[in-house]
Amino acid sequence: MAFKLGLFKTSVARKNVMAITGLFTAFFLIIHLAGNLILILPDSMFPIEFWGNVANQHDMYNAYSHFLVHFWPISIVAYILYAGLALHVVDAIIITLTNHKAKGEKYVKTDNSTSTWYSRNMGILGTIIGIFIVIHMGQFWLKYKVLGTEHDLYDLVVRTFKLTWVVVLYEIGIIALGFHLVHGFTSAHRSLGMYPKSWMKILKYIGVCFGIGMAVLYGIIPLIIYFQ
Amino acid sequence: MKITLKIWRQESAKAKGKLETYQLNEVEQDMSFLEMLDMLNEDLAVKGERSVEFDHDCREGICGQCSLVINGQAHGPESHYTTCQTHMRSFKDGDTIFIEPFRAKAFPVIRDLKVNRDSFDTIIQAGGYISAFTGNAPEANNIPIHHDISESAFDSAACIGCGACVATCKNSSAALFVSAKISHLAKLPQGKVERKERVEWMITAHDEEGFGSCTHTGACAMVCPQEVQLLDITRMNFEFNRALCIS
Ligand code: HEM
Ligand code: FES
Repeated sequence: MAFKLGLFKTSVARKNVMAITGLFTAFFLIIHLAGNLILILPDSMFPIEFWGNVANQHDMYNAYSHFLVHFWPISIVAYILYAGLALHVVDAIIITLTNHKAKGEKYVKTDNSTSTWYSRNMGILGTIIGIFIVIHMGQFWLKYKVLGTEHDLYDLVVRTFKLTWVVVLYEIGIIALGFHLVHGFTSAHRSLGMYPKSWMKILKYIGVCFGIGMAVLYGIIPLIIYFQ
Repeated sequence: MKITLKIWRQESAKAKGKLETYQLNEVEQDMSFLEMLDMLNEDLAVKGERSVEFDHDCREGICGQCSLVINGQAHGPESHYTTCQTHMRSFKDGDTIFIEPFRAKAFPVIRDLKVNRDSFDTIIQAGGYISAFTGNAPEANNIPIHHDISESAFDSAACIGCGACVATCKNSSAALFVSAKISHLAKLPQGKVERKERVEWMITAHDEEGFGSCTHTGACAMVCPQEVQLLDITRMNFEFNRALCIS
């Protein structure tokens, strides 16, 4: 039988796109975190020796970011990531609009005890994350990679995280991300149909650990720099 | 006990509805919720007012006809109960109870608390069946089925098609309903003939009927009178992706 293109417009296929792009972004978050944890390694670890070079924290962070920008395979993955995130947002908007159309008149009395608030508000959490991503990329990616007005990324990061409003904004964005992931991680696996019961059971806990873990680890970076 | 009722009254699908307040003074704890509404309707009949219309049939939790969102919860405060199995002992003297119809675009209100759930039939007609030879019923033990599998298939088959999942879902998705049928038949050898097409047809019908998509909030499984599991939705998604891959 011919491959049916129409099936890609179904609600389940849409959720698959949501899940794949979401999980890909979530995977990126791990790598992104690993690099940025350099920022909060204790001073006692430096100078450090890697690949035959002796470096302090400042050099190591800048070498890492230089590598990200100039190593071409990473650029390709970065473009896939931008496209994936864009697709995630577009798909989120389409899904939200179709779901909105499916709703009947509003209930006068509602009882929300049957589900968690963050599972009901993935769109709002996502919008907060979206706004955060735009600001975040404007602060670092735009200045360092696109405009080239900043060359010392370590210095830029430390300067930026000395500003109170920036740290507050980051914490809000990161907490929203944590909740988005706690629901999104498990939901994505369900959307893709990974159903064996034993797996579903652990998955829920992996999702919670992943979401909270990401939020805590990302969350402490601006705080530590701010209070240093 | 004294009960104040705030009931959704609506003349027809097109008309605008609103909550009306009614007072009942002699409600007994042992009455079922629907008997309490019968009592109200007798009062209204005496006064010459139009009775409150609501769906019901078996009144023993098996037909799936009763609906109602009671105080914001589909089928009322007891989890995994139908409205007809809910009793007034779940409420206190002096309570105010909000009663609204199941709400979703795909469940238009017919009148008052009655909604049209034909969309569910359309979905079942799209693929919720199996192919079998006509003639005499075959010998039941001809096809050996593992006990666990038949039990699991039966858990999914238990869906009574009431639509509480849709009424509760923030997206008005019927994923739990569709997945119960898909899982029921996917688990059994009898369902294998249309295994691939069934999931495509039923999900397409689900979308065409105007239901939303599943966000896995899990609210549906919390209110389902038959305790159909959220896991069935995951299985349906697996069946869908399997069908996509082999087509
Ligand atoms: C770092 C960024 C992000 C990550 C890692 C991420 C991850 C995820 C994951 C894994 C899912 C689950 C997919 C599923 O339920 O099948 C999801 C769902 C969703 N995301 Fe994101 N997301 C991110 C950013 C955003 C942004 C910027 C938006 C919005 C504008 C957004 C909106 C949504 C929405 C609406 C859903 C669907 C909820 C649902 O219907 O279940 N996300 N996300
Ligand atoms: S009236 Fe039959 S299930 Fe409630």
